Amino acid sequence: MAPILSLKSFPKAIIHIDADAFFASCEQARDPQLKGKPVVTGKERGIASAVSYEGKALGLKRGMSLQEIRRICPDVVHLPSDYETYSLYSARMLSIVRDYTNLVEAYSIDECFAEITGLRRPRRMSYQAIAATIKHDLEVKLGLTFSIGLAPSKVVAKIASKWQKPSGLTVISGRDLPQYLEKLSIGDVWGIGKQTASYLAQFKIRTALDFAERDEGWVRNHLTKPHQEIWHELRGQAVLSLETEEKQTYQSISKTKTFTPPSSDPAYVFGQLSKNIENACIKARRYHLVARKVFVFLRTHDFQHQGCELTLSRATAFPHEIVRLVGAHFHQVFQSDTRYRLTGVVLTQLVENTPLQLDLFDGPLNVEQLERVYDGIDRLDKRYGKHAVFLASSLPAMRKGQHTGERGEVAARKRQLFTGETERKRLGMPMLGEVK
Amino acid sequence: MLGFHRSHAPYTIASQRTALALCARVKTPLLPRRRCQHVRVLGVVEAGWPSPAEEELLDTMSFDEYLAPNKNASYILRVKGDSMIDAGIHPGDLVLVERTTHPRDGDIVIAEVDGEWTMKVFRQQGTRVWLDAANSAYAPIMPQQELTVIAVVRAVVRKYA
Repeated sequence: MAPILSLKSFPKAIIHIDADAFFASCEQARDPQLKGKPVVTGKERGIASAVSYEGKALGLKRGMSLQEIRRICPDVVHLPSDYETYSLYSARMLSIVRDYTNLVEAYSIDECFAEITGLRRPRRMSYQAIAATIKHDLEVKLGLTFSIGLAPSKVVAKIASKWQKPSGLTVISGRDLPQYLEKLSIGDVWGIGKQTASYLAQFKIRTALDFAERDEGWVRNHLTKPHQEIWHELRGQAVLSLETEEKQTYQSISKTKTFTPPSSDPAYVFGQLSKNIENACIKARRYHLVARKVFVFLRTHDFQHQGCELTLSRATAFPHEIVRLVGAHFHQVFQSDTRYRLTGVVLTQLVENTPLQLDLFDGPLNVEQLERVYDGIDRLDKRYGKHAVFLASSLPAMRKGQHTGERGEVAARKRQLFTGETERKRLGMPMLGEVK
Repeated sequence: MLGFHRSHAPYTIASQRTALALCARVKTPLLPRRRCQHVRVLGVVEAGWPSPAEEELLDTMSFDEYLAPNKNASYILRVKGDSMIDAGIHPGDLVLVERTTHPRDGDIVIAEVDGEWTMKVFRQQGTRVWLDAANSAYAPIMPQQELTVIAVVRAVVRKYA
């Protein structure tokens, strides 16, 4: 059997930072009354998008429905999501970590990787002490707790941060690796899905250690490149580099929105769909992309899905063209005796918007004029807020809020405005509420 | 005065120019015609002192930097009561605070008392710590067990209209 792992403990030092119950923790950091209570966010979606540790201890889980949450825990604090505040915290988390190293990968809103290789001498600290310092700095400045994993590779760092939650600091050096991998089921490794796990089980690979101990020839013959990379990473050899650049492009752009109460009015449901198409197109134009295909779908009140995929005659990011095409096929998807609660659109086969993407029937002049129209609309939106100008087909959805009743509740930050703040623009600093 | 040797020299030149259609004679004044005006402006020639604005402005700070030098730890709150009125902090004001765990004696701090944020002056003498209001109507707060200070007030902002 090939000897697993390098002799050096940290050929590379990579940390994975994971904010504990991020959205719920942001809320608890803001309001001292929420401390020590089960707090759940995502009220406007009718589900739990995050659950505080107090709630997790009672058996609440992410994705649970409102009714389920109330049944398990009647005195739960259910709050509408305040993505503006969460995004401010997220940006700060990255900014604080960048005070230590510029090799930072923003993996998601509440997670990041950072490489601290070579910082022992300038900082006069061990890698573990650097990780502890970053953790302390984050917790003091943000008022939330973080779980941190330090390891020689990204995959192992992610295992380490998960090892002890909340507020854990787990160090897995190259030397200690086998004893951690031994206790970890292969399906819990980042990047190994259910299918791969059951495929590996055929070869008597159940733990991460079983996998890491296979020889390279076997791995090469039986697995694809992404899984070969995981094999290297599990052995403490960093092959996945940190993606420190901000995302510049997308493979697909999707926009979905639920609405309450569910509706069986075709004009209203189509209006919701039209609004999503407009939103997706705004994003596509921001990244200078155009779509060749579009997939639209509806979700019924009992969670059934109906959808269809449509091909555009010309790659476009103009919503009126997509809405027109979708409108022609809407009756295939929409059933008049059904109530719907969500519409969604996915723009796919995105390509860079190069000046001449014409079909047989569209002159270049027409497209150029439309480019100017949408350039104007985008500038109006920038000045007066999103949807300052919108398609008439979206009007039924724009007329009233996305949700009525208790799901229509708006986040506290949007209700408490300071002099000079508007509904569209607020100070870019988290607010901790009122002080006596 | 203009460097001509003979007194009628300007007239001679003017007549030549008029003949060449460079100038138009409208009654008495001598005016240049359009052809002479076709001079393209190639930019502005700097005369006098070069503007120091660009270099001098490098070292100024924005209000953001001024009010919240430690941006990643700064937060805002709205003032509700009048317990700090003698310190010039009024109800409705916006206070800018910096999260820290180490307040110093005399700092105006945000502390957690009975599940609410309270803003008071932090006092420390030896091992004794307490909170003073800046309003004689309020009694000092003596913590029974522990005092949780989360932030220090760095600035007060009051915006009129």
